[in-house]
Amino acid sequence: MIATAFSLLAPMETEEAQIASGLRRRDPDLLDALIEQYQHRLLRYLVHLTGNRAVAEDLFQEVWLRVLEKGHLYDGRNRFVTWLMSIGHNVAIDYLRKRNPSSLDEMRDPDEGVPFEPPSHEPSPLEQAATHQQQQMLGEALEQVPPLFREVLVLRFQEQMKLEEIAKLIRIPVATVKTRLYRGVQALRPLIRGGVL
Amino acid sequence: MTQLDHARATELIMRRGPQDLAPGDLEWLEAHLESCSTCAQYETDFNNAGQLLRATAIIASPALVNRTQARVRERAIYLREQQARTVLIAISFCLGAMLSAVSGWMWWRFGAWIAEHVGLSLAVVEPGVIVFLLLPAIAVAVLMLAFPHSVLESSVVGALGREREGVRQ
Repeated sequence: MIATAFSLLAPMETEEAQIASGLRRRDPDLLDALIEQYQHRLLRYLVHLTGNRAVAEDLFQEVWLRVLEKGHLYDGRNRFVTWLMSIGHNVAIDYLRKRNPSSLDEMRDPDEGVPFEPPSHEPSPLEQAATHQQQQMLGEALEQVPPLFREVLVLRFQEQMKLEEIAKLIRIPVATVKTRLYRGVQALRPLIRGGVL
Repeated sequence: MTQLDHARATELIMRRGPQDLAPGDLEWLEAHLESCSTCAQYETDFNNAGQLLRATAIIASPALVNRTQARVRERAIYLREQQARTVLIAISFCLGAMLSAVSGWMWWRFGAWIAEHVGLSLAVVEPGVIVFLLLPAIAVAVLMLAFPHSVLESSVVGALGREREGVRQ
């Protein structure tokens, strides 16, 4: 579907340029394809950032509506995923600020929702139970890491982003990214050594 | 071994993976890790943290994706309609402004011609032409003063709503 959407556009353009061109036209087919392509990555990022699956799903829709409305601002010079995540970051931060403007770290309600889900393959009930338990442990472990550090960890390890990309996305200096990454790993250290893995 | 060496090693550990390190940096890092247990431990923790993060599976449900696609598509169609309407309004405005300028100029010339042939003073004819040109705007202003705003607004909003319903049907 994505290939079809892109093949409808000029073949000589790069993928990012094709996306930029499609977003300027507000092409619904291209948007459908982009939602399909980036669904898991965006949702994962939002879940980690907000710590709440239900909220993340609401923000997921909000992000795509914002992509539609602000699409003309994407120039195709940077990776689309970086731009998408920066919109996700802004939407999540707006939401968190509305909930509690004093501190992002204090804005999470640990009792809300179930943040992490097992993958959608079909293992045996025993495997399912084991996976579920492991996912729950991982989720609980990650919940102990402050959101600011967790965000950088997610972008570095799950999205495989460079430090400069993360800095650009969150609009902070590279030195701050390194500090947050360092402290994020430190925050996970007792969990790792405690045998969560 | 200085503090700068540890800081350099930490940065290279953070950078390795998403980007390729220069061969010189990589060689230096490997040598440093062999001789520095603190940095080697940090590298282990760093890699384990990566494994931990990658082990969490979060998957968007098809229902969420479908719902989002439907909302985005509907909004895209609305925005495209609105954009097309804005272009039409802009064209209409430009055409109206041009026609007003041309007709204003023609009426002005006509006023001068009348003044010349009938023998009226320009001091009378020119204000008369201006009032004549402004007559439609004056009429609208009088209507707006005569009727309360809510009546006009509700009728305009009602008309737009009916038009929108008509488009949907």
